[in-house]
Amino acid sequence: MSAFIQSNKAAAEGPSLIGRRRLLPRLRSHGGALWRRWRYPFTRRTPLLIETAYNPKTLAAEKEIVDKRPLYWIAGLLVLLVVPPVFGDNSFLSAATVFAIYAAINIVWMLMIGTAGIFSLATLAVVGAAAYTVSYISIHTGLPWWGMIAVSPLVGLLFGVLIAIPAIRLEGFYYALLTVGIADLCREFVLQTQALGAASYGLYGADTYVPKGISERGGLLLSFYAAFVVMLAALALYRMVNGQRLGLLLRTAPEGQEAFAAALGINYRAARIQVFLISSAALGAIGGFYATYFKGASPALFTMDSLLLLLAMIVIGGIGTAEGAVVGTLIVVLFDRVFIGLGPVRLIIIAMIMFGTVLFLRRGLFGIAPQFRAWRDKRRSERRALRTGEGDDIMPEDATQIADKQAIYTQRFDKQLREELKKLVTDELIAEHRRTDGGRRSDALERILTFFRRAEVAGKYAILAEKPFAAYRIVALSGKRGMPPRLVDDQVFATQEEAQHGVFLKRIRDLLDS
Amino acid sequence: MAKIRISAYTDKISVKAGDTLSVMASAEGTDSVHAALVRLIHGDEHPDGPGFIEEKVASPVERDWPVRKQYVQKGNFLRVADPKGQLAVAGAVTLHAYIFPTMPNDGRQAILGRWSVDGTRGCALGIGASGRLEFWVGDGTAADSVTAEVPLIARVWYFVAASFDPATRTATIYQEPVINRYNSLLSKIVPYDYRSHVSQVLRVRPAHGPDTPFLIGGASDHNPSRGGFVSALYSGKIDRCGVQAAVLDRAALDAIRNGVRPPEAGFLAYWDTTEGYTDRGIGDEVRDTGPHALHAVGINRPVRCQTGWNWAGRNDCFRLAPKEFGGIEFHNDALTDCHWQPTLTLDIPADLKSGVYAVKLTAGDGQSAAEEYTTFFVRAATPRAPICLLMPTASYLAYANFQGAFDGAFLQSITAVTPVFAEVDIEVYKNDVEFGLSTYDTHNDGSGVCHSSYHRPLFNMRPKYRFTGVGGVWQFPADLSIVAWLEHMKYDYEILTDEDLHRDGVAALKPYSMVLNATHCEYYSEPMMDATEDYLAGGGRLLYLSGNGYYWVVGFRPDEPWVMEVRKLEAGSRAWQARAGEHYLASTGERSGLWRHRNRAPQKLVGTGFSSEGMDGSVPYRRMPDGYHRSVSWIFAGVEGEVFGDFGLAGGGAAGIEIDRYDLAQGTPPHARILASSEPFTDNYPLVQEDIMFMTPGLGGTQHPWVRADMTYFTTPEHGAVFSASSIAWGSALPCHKFDNSVSRIMKNVVDAFLKPGLLPGSEFDAK
Repeated sequence: MSAFIQSNKAAAEGPSLIGRRRLLPRLRSHGGALWRRWRYPFTRRTPLLIETAYNPKTLAAEKEIVDKRPLYWIAGLLVLLVVPPVFGDNSFLSAATVFAIYAAINIVWMLMIGTAGIFSLATLAVVGAAAYTVSYISIHTGLPWWGMIAVSPLVGLLFGVLIAIPAIRLEGFYYALLTVGIADLCREFVLQTQALGAASYGLYGADTYVPKGISERGGLLLSFYAAFVVMLAALALYRMVNGQRLGLLLRTAPEGQEAFAAALGINYRAARIQVFLISSAALGAIGGFYATYFKGASPALFTMDSLLLLLAMIVIGGIGTAEGAVVGTLIVVLFDRVFIGLGPVRLIIIAMIMFGTVLFLRRGLFGIAPQFRAWRDKRRSERRALRTGEGDDIMPEDATQIADKQAIYTQRFDKQLREELKKLVTDELIAEHRRTDGGRRSDALERILTFFRRAEVAGKYAILAEKPFAAYRIVALSGKRGMPPRLVDDQVFATQEEAQHGVFLKRIRDLLDS
Repeated sequence: MAKIRISAYTDKISVKAGDTLSVMASAEGTDSVHAALVRLIHGDEHPDGPGFIEEKVASPVERDWPVRKQYVQKGNFLRVADPKGQLAVAGAVTLHAYIFPTMPNDGRQAILGRWSVDGTRGCALGIGASGRLEFWVGDGTAADSVTAEVPLIARVWYFVAASFDPATRTATIYQEPVINRYNSLLSKIVPYDYRSHVSQVLRVRPAHGPDTPFLIGGASDHNPSRGGFVSALYSGKIDRCGVQAAVLDRAALDAIRNGVRPPEAGFLAYWDTTEGYTDRGIGDEVRDTGPHALHAVGINRPVRCQTGWNWAGRNDCFRLAPKEFGGIEFHNDALTDCHWQPTLTLDIPADLKSGVYAVKLTAGDGQSAAEEYTTFFVRAATPRAPICLLMPTASYLAYANFQGAFDGAFLQSITAVTPVFAEVDIEVYKNDVEFGLSTYDTHNDGSGVCHSSYHRPLFNMRPKYRFTGVGGVWQFPADLSIVAWLEHMKYDYEILTDEDLHRDGVAALKPYSMVLNATHCEYYSEPMMDATEDYLAGGGRLLYLSGNGYYWVVGFRPDEPWVMEVRKLEAGSRAWQARAGEHYLASTGERSGLWRHRNRAPQKLVGTGFSSEGMDGSVPYRRMPDGYHRSVSWIFAGVEGEVFGDFGLAGGGAAGIEIDRYDLAQGTPPHARILASSEPFTDNYPLVQEDIMFMTPGLGGTQHPWVRADMTYFTTPEHGAVFSASSIAWGSALPCHKFDNSVSRIMKNVVDAFLKPGLLPGSEFDAK
């Protein structure tokens, strides 16, 4: 009886009401109407990943867009495409162009770091090497701007091959250090090589895609759109590499689990190098575009501060996603180029954002949502654990997850029954069990045994005859057809009767522990 | 050294001189087994009994035989005979079916089509991994599919279809519920919108493999070690279904959904699952009423006579309204025939004595030694002995390969003991319950198992096997204690099986002066009941040594005596319960359930019928006042005291496990005498469910007077008589104290009396 009073008290202080009001409009299924599903040409992909399922609360068939990211991308890209030309002045527009180029670089870099897992910091060095090379060729041979862009991926690829070689031997931190060294070497090289414009701090005079005679605004607009297209191309490349075969292969071999992937027959090293080379060629192409935009190249590409700025972008956005690369770039470029009026403080702001991200967020800005959900779930389960400890009852929020509501009652009932039965357990009762095998037993003992016997199958004790009439062990059933019982401990009983009593003792202990 | 496993079965369960017996074996870890013919005398290895006894019999099979691993095709499906490949439709196609899925969330399941899983070739309608209806198309290199919008709900009837137009590569899915007031788990008050119609342009057109069969309820598959097999097995019911070489539009499919025959344009096949019903049931053939008569045949006995999409509830049997019983039920773990190749054959020699035999297969030695006993029974070609021991093979089938000790939450409550597993139980269980289930188990989808067959290794019909649930011998190995008693007492006896009784009727029993039942003859067909009744009415003498005998109505098809069918109905001690409207045997057309509910309670035959069961302990009998009457007191000659039978290898008493009682209301012959009754049982022996009209407390053995075993005796016409021990534990008490005990003495008194023709002892004391 006291058990009833207790649980009533707990209920009065009680669980707060649960159940959420739906904020977003619900989309009904197509019902009897024909749903013509459209696919992107030459793929199996439908425009949106839509899933219709029955809402367990109402049984209504509700349609849900499982992955809303395509919608966010389209909206975000539209804003990025429209805002600078329509609302931005010239400096804003050129900042937007720089943003688009950096975003493209970061997206490709994300392929190296996130997808391939190769921590190369020579990203800008590849861009720079391509920019310098094609500028040099253009200046000396009159290579037109489109030729520069055409040649640049080859340069990037070549440079990529060079820096990929050490990646075979070096990993992680050591490889990163090496690539920083390579970038610095490049800087020193161009600063000391007269033919590469050591005197003029940069190599200028290459061809550009901006036609002569175009207005300043017109040139800026053209450059912005061109850079935007480069960014879109980088996104497309990211999607193709990360979302298709190579990306899938590499997702099976995350850091620390390479051996497992290798055991499955996945050549993750080859896949990593492939992604690295593809990315290098892409970075080369961006370098070519960079050269045609700036009509040359500058040693700034190889400097530590550019690299750090780039790193800030990636860290803030979060490693491993294209949206992280874009938004991280956007934030840093905004502070670095647009809020230039803030002066040097803006660099401190960038640093602080970066610190904040590193300290408080696990996967950058785009990790906030999952991180929040994980935190919320953790809090919930902590609260639940606290209350379960008090009442050992199913909480309302758990009840929503249980399809067969009868199970909730059974658990409550069994708990109260256990409390009742616990009071019957005495040394004499245990002795009686041993003494009365096969015979009539006291009502108290039968009550306890009846409860034990009707327990659900999963985890229920049984006996294994290792050697009939000689050796018996206690096992626990799986409750899942095809999954054999597991041995519970190393006790061996000489007779079946002793094993039966052994099981009884275990069940008594479980009852008293509950 | 690799672990050796041997599993085997025989093609026949009962043979006589001149017959040829084939042994089908599969082995792992060895490529050869040694065979020997043995005669089985005693099984139970309980230290208080004589232990395991076998006698080797010289035989030409005694040598090494090559063996290999043989695979088992589990699961129900229908294979369509389509030798001309008329169903390999290259052009426009529509597949349609009524379905009642029971496990839509159990992964890919094929409903119907010509689909090769390993070759991704062909097309089929099925259920996808997401539990939604799907239409699969494959051209041998790539596969594509269209999926319905909403998931399928279990145990609800749908009409589903998919069409494919090769010109536009458009595939269209059609899914509509056909729920009425009776046919589904849910009624129309549930606000599900079950409908879905989706069309999508696919990337591939179907290309059919030349050898891919058209299957209903599965898809063709292949792997290098196993060869061809069927996977993507469907669970649930399928009613009428068909193939149309045309794209059927919505209106045409709506018409078929309403039961109209498919239109003539492109009509290829229409399997009318209600065709072929007779008053005596239906076989495995499913007839195509379309132009090409491409009939299908069921594998592993799909369950027929089930309610269909249009079951209107008024008629509870296919015999009354066959068109409403088009449901064929499929289970992905059904198994009625392993179809293994014979490993060896044995010609039964003319001089082989009738008895219980096994081909003993052994391999390896020391730690890796493995053995298998393929048990079978040899009857007399010409009966000569006066005594017949009737081996209850139908009941062996009912319990064959029982898995309830692993799966059934109810089991420990019934047995009141903790189950005890042997290594073989665990081996079989962890190999996906490889040799199928017993009629006490449920299929993976929760439906009861209604078919059991001996064309598969029956690992619990083995001489030393101890039954998991009770931790002791059960049925076959327990029955060997009666064999050992007959041997020990040097009686001249012969063996018959239920299969012989079912086939030959009373003619099988007629030559014998007396028939002994074994310990648990629970499952009886109508011919078996009739034969027993006619035998007793014609002067036959019977020792009913069972508990809970003559209980369930079962059926066999004449062409496949190895498969038994039972439906467990609304009453009785039952592991499952058939759905409404599915109470009749497809094998015979009879109502199944308990014989008691067909007005043939066991009391009418043997004086007693099922009263209770429990496995925590057995008790002795106490002689009743009627047992002292001189007409029957001869039965107790040499038995001292009022209480007897306080020993036994099964629970330490002669009365127990399952027990029967005298009941005039159930048709116990009015002149039957209760010679003795059991001492009180524990409360783990509750009153049987069929005796309970209102639920009241106090139904256990310590409180209810009906919970008891009655030893009865009565005479039948022409000097016939029935002695009933009414307890499963009786047989296991016989071998105690080296067969020298009160139970054995009573048996001897009765058998000796029954051996003498004419007047029975005590018959002179018939004065009123």
